[in-house]
Amino acid sequence: MATSQDADSDMECSDNEDGYYDYNDYYNDEDSDIERIDPTRVDPEYFDYKCLSEEEVERLLNETVESLSNRLIISPSLAKVLLHSQHWNTNEVIHKYKENPQQTLIGARINPPSPPKSILFTSTYLACSVCITTQNIDKFFHLSCAHIFCRECWTTHFEVQISQGISTAISCMAKDCIVLAPEDFVLKHLHHKTSIREKYQHFIFQDYVKAHPELRFCPGPNCSIIIHSSEIKAKRAVCTQCKTIFCFRCGCDYHAPTDCQVIKKWLTKCADDSETANYISAHTKDCPKCHICIEKNGGCNHMQCYNCKHDFCWMCLGDWKSHGSEYYECSRYRENPNIAHESVHAQAREALKKYLHYYERWENHSKSLKLEEQTLEKLRDRINQKVMSGLGTWIDWQYLFTAANLLAKCRYTLQYTYPFAYYMDAGPRKELFEYQQAQLEAEIENLSWKVERAETTDRGDLENQMDIAEKRRTTLLKDFLDV
Amino acid sequence: MAALPRRIIKETQRLMQEPVPGISAVPDESNARYFHVIVTGPEDSPFEGGLFKLELFLPEDYPMSAPKVRFITKIYHPNIDRLGRICLDILKEKWSPALQIRTVLLSIQALLSAPNPDDPLANDVAELWKENESEAIRNAKEWTRRYAMDN
Repeated sequence: MATSQDADSDMECSDNEDGYYDYNDYYNDEDSDIERIDPTRVDPEYFDYKCLSEEEVERLLNETVESLSNRLIISPSLAKVLLHSQHWNTNEVIHKYKENPQQTLIGARINPPSPPKSILFTSTYLACSVCITTQNIDKFFHLSCAHIFCRECWTTHFEVQISQGISTAISCMAKDCIVLAPEDFVLKHLHHKTSIREKYQHFIFQDYVKAHPELRFCPGPNCSIIIHSSEIKAKRAVCTQCKTIFCFRCGCDYHAPTDCQVIKKWLTKCADDSETANYISAHTKDCPKCHICIEKNGGCNHMQCYNCKHDFCWMCLGDWKSHGSEYYECSRYRENPNIAHESVHAQAREALKKYLHYYERWENHSKSLKLEEQTLEKLRDRINQKVMSGLGTWIDWQYLFTAANLLAKCRYTLQYTYPFAYYMDAGPRKELFEYQQAQLEAEIENLSWKVERAETTDRGDLENQMDIAEKRRTTLLKDFLDV
Repeated sequence: MAALPRRIIKETQRLMQEPVPGISAVPDESNARYFHVIVTGPEDSPFEGGLFKLELFLPEDYPMSAPKVRFITKIYHPNIDRLGRICLDILKEKWSPALQIRTVLLSIQALLSAPNPDDPLANDVAELWKENESEAIRNAKEWTRRYAMDN
């Protein structure tokens, strides 16, 4: 059997059009032979998502609506209200609907809590209770609650509500009636009002996206991209259009390894306390050896005094030699072990000191990131000159940009390790974290040093350093990124 | 100015023909959407015996939007602030076009009988109302006597 199958597949291969071999198929076949590895185990930041346009999201929502409307045999308009009320969870809607359809419709505010009294029309004319105008009965409309109002009043009601930004939450006009006006009912009454109709469709779409846990508007300014992922976690999303990088869960700047609540707490704290912190952490420091005033104008924290050539660390002002190969301790905050016995005043000072320790490092790496952006710009100019004067091609120098981008990525993570450490309880886990943080910091500074001196650094040496820094970053995230 | 909607004309007529007990609402001579309102303080409330002046304005999109109502007479009440603004659900999110001027004014009168310090607008008044109700009621009576009686 096996041989005949092999022969068959051989036949298939040679049957391929004009002997042309499909390399895609070849590689796909190869792939399926290898055991599938969970990508999150290799890369803790792995995130499966798509950047969609508004049209694509509309299509996606419509497909969800259609499939539900087919399964429950209800109108698409009702399906939409049901889905929206259950945060677009189709299974939840089906489960609830199958269990108790009436209660589900009441819960979604499609039907009133108690069945309406049947309306008896005694004449073909009726006075609308809102505008007090008597009109023919065919000018009157109502929702499932049977509160009838004339067409014009419905139209004005919708116009007023929409002009206040209300869309999915527009309800019946009757007093204390909570029945919602579904999309088709609203649109029917706005058929002659193009601009308000468009406004309504815009608002209602925004409401749908905001209520959908798998969809997130790109927070970039004036960007219309919507990110879609079935993994609702604090992962890094990069908008393909405006390149904004953000946390998929909270929509703020990406903040691994810190989680959404902690980063919010930290940023609020920084906003409150930053005046003091800014005051204390000046932009210049004196050289620890010759005491000449030094302004930091690069991202690297490995400083070399312009005057006396002393190598030192910008953060702790210690000799750089002790940072390089030995145990790197600059990132660790040493708590005063006797703090419990100190006075309230001393405790407050200690608390401020602790905060400032983390804040200074957080702020310093943020500044370094900006300064390294400038370094990259200068690098670009220098490479341009080199290429123009025939020293290699753009491709030859590409690795420098890769290095600079990797440096930015590593330093970004490092910046966000400080709020994480600040809120961490003391103990062996924190010690492990700060050890890894110190390792990462040391390798990043080495990398930064080498990137700043890129042309004189050996390419192999630089690439080696890149690899080490990224490995340190991934190790730290693997151990501490918990999303 | 656009013609007055039939709804406003009807409501005004009815307010004149069948006034609500304890409430008078008269449209301004120059603006039919602006009403001069007087509400009498309800019996068995700290506002009893007082006459409270209010202004009521029907906005352009009335009755789709709620009327704007404000106390002109100073009043010591947890849901009414020093500018006379009223915290009342039917004037905000619970507004329905099916409500009318008369129902709004009745609700305001009812609010005088039953202050709600848990949903306050004037914070200091609400605090006292919760902590020391008898003192708050004394203050309310005093304000009623001082600001709502001598006219």
